[in-house]
Amino acid sequence: MLVAGIDIGAATAKAVILKDSRIIGHAVRPVGYDVKIAANEVSREALQDANLSISMDDLDFIVSTGYARESIGFAQKTATEIICHAKGAHFMIPTTRFIIDMGGQDSKAIEVDSEGNVINFTMNDKCAAGTGRFMEVMAHILQVESMTDMGPIALESNDPCRISSTCTVFAETEVVVLRAEGKERKDLIAGVHKAAASRVFAMASGLKCEPDAVFTGGVAKNTGMKKFLENEFKTEFLVPDEPQIIGALGAALIAQTHAGK
Amino acid sequence: MKALEKLDSHLQSRLTDLNKLKEKQKIIGYTAGGYFPEELALACNAIPVCFIQAGNNNILRDAGAYVCRWFDPFWRSQIGYLTSGRDPYYNIADLIVVPITDNHVRVFSNTLGYYTPEKESFVFGVPHVKDKLALEYYHKGIIRLRKKLEEFTGSEITDDKLRQSIALCNRERELFRKISLMRKSGSSSISSKDFIKLNHASFLADKEFMIEILEMYMQEAGETAPRTESGTALLFTGSTIARDDYKVMDIIEESGGNIIIEEFAEGIRPYWNSVNTEGSLMKNLAESYFMDRVCAGWFRPGTERLNFLIRLAKDYNTDGLIWYHLMFRESYKVESHFFPDMLKKETGIPMFVLESEYDDMEKGPMRTRIETFLETIKR
Repeated sequence: MLVAGIDIGAATAKAVILKDSRIIGHAVRPVGYDVKIAANEVSREALQDANLSISMDDLDFIVSTGYARESIGFAQKTATEIICHAKGAHFMIPTTRFIIDMGGQDSKAIEVDSEGNVINFTMNDKCAAGTGRFMEVMAHILQVESMTDMGPIALESNDPCRISSTCTVFAETEVVVLRAEGKERKDLIAGVHKAAASRVFAMASGLKCEPDAVFTGGVAKNTGMKKFLENEFKTEFLVPDEPQIIGALGAALIAQTHAGK
Repeated sequence: MKALEKLDSHLQSRLTDLNKLKEKQKIIGYTAGGYFPEELALACNAIPVCFIQAGNNNILRDAGAYVCRWFDPFWRSQIGYLTSGRDPYYNIADLIVVPITDNHVRVFSNTLGYYTPEKESFVFGVPHVKDKLALEYYHKGIIRLRKKLEEFTGSEITDDKLRQSIALCNRERELFRKISLMRKSGSSSISSKDFIKLNHASFLADKEFMIEILEMYMQEAGETAPRTESGTALLFTGSTIARDDYKVMDIIEESGGNIIIEEFAEGIRPYWNSVNTEGSLMKNLAESYFMDRVCAGWFRPGTERLNFLIRLAKDYNTDGLIWYHLMFRESYKVESHFFPDMLKKETGIPMFVLESEYDDMEKGPMRTRIETFLETIKR
């Protein structure tokens, strides 16, 4: 059985091809200006990665997720990214009970049961604090090539700067002021991580963070953020391989359950 | 339904009709919240209309010249409509009555007095505690209102006229109550959106015409086959549900949810109780409008309303509760943090919180949250 999951998020498009519960191909690319083009391209790249010379029409079932899930014409079903992240994380780490997903434009905290079903969840409101976008803006100001590259630098700091604002724009101002005061770059970067982690912790305060806790989404590639989340939640976070494709994987798993019907 | 079509047509020509009626009758505009006894306006041959329009983010920009952003968007909308004249009901009202229920309404009344002094207004306070002294205070407030309306319209409010008006409004409340109870089974053809739209229309329409419409609607609904798929039964509650703020209801319906009962402080007419027509009518009005109705979220203690929600959830056998409050409505925001545990303990059902600032950008994340919440209930 050959199925696919497509996750069109705010910043990146992801696709996973699943054959009999095994990932045989995946792809990630920027969304760009047209979600339909992004969906077609990322699907083509995932098929290529799976060494398949077929089109998406040849697959048994396709599920789309993410912000643009309703716009993917070739998907037979849609599912929310929260449900998909729960399914995907549970598939990768079956002992998952709590998930923090930090994506491009939003972050989520999800409680799951032993089957990977969502019990409770929360999402950030229309604010970029504690999201990938927040980290990208800060990486740009602090002249680090990518948000992921900031992680190891943050881990070098023993004295993270205190950044009190949770608003991306105001936090940017704070960083500029601290930079002018001569604070070390590694302490500034650590401060940015601490501020984002504390924002996510506050958002998830109504949920039970029980082990195993799993960290997914593009920001999970940042090793510093993992550490700062662990400090806030006082628990270890496991990061699955390719944390960015967990939503698409969950969608593919849902596709698999529908393909046989 | 034919009743709704007839009502739409009445509302379309309502402003033209009111402009003609204005030559002989006074139009009394009043702010939302359910503390203005319409009976008093009707008893002096005036026409009550409630300002209930909101849901459009554009009007908030107009309000930005008068009030800061960190303020309930419904009341910011009212400030925007009042000062810009973009809600014609503000323009047509001869007198604006403001029962002050909380700080948001107080700021609206300040704006009214300061920026639009040409508009005549009458303000009275509504206490936040239900006790003897508070009842007395509210009672005195509506006595002052009665006097103002008599002077303003030049028409004395006799006991006979007031009793007739109360009977008319009781009939309207009774019909809303009956329609609401018809939805208890969960398979009724009456949608929440229709019910809420009927409520909103009742704040603007001619009272006797509205009663005819409600009777007609009830009959039509009774004759319509029940839904074959009833969906996830939901209790929908919050601070305000404004006329044209239907985004959340649409998403819930499209996602397979079925709202079968609502509770809102602003936007839904308190319809569970009738006003007694025996004895002192002014005291009866005070008792009914202040004591008997379920209080809003800003009352203390807030337990009366929360217990009422628990009772509704049980009586209507709902599968979940969607709590929809507007941004910066602090009393509701605070309750939304601790009420899910209370509700779960008492009923076993989950609650989900949505917050809005009347922004179109909210649609996508709201849909994701609502779909996920309904999915977790279905399982």
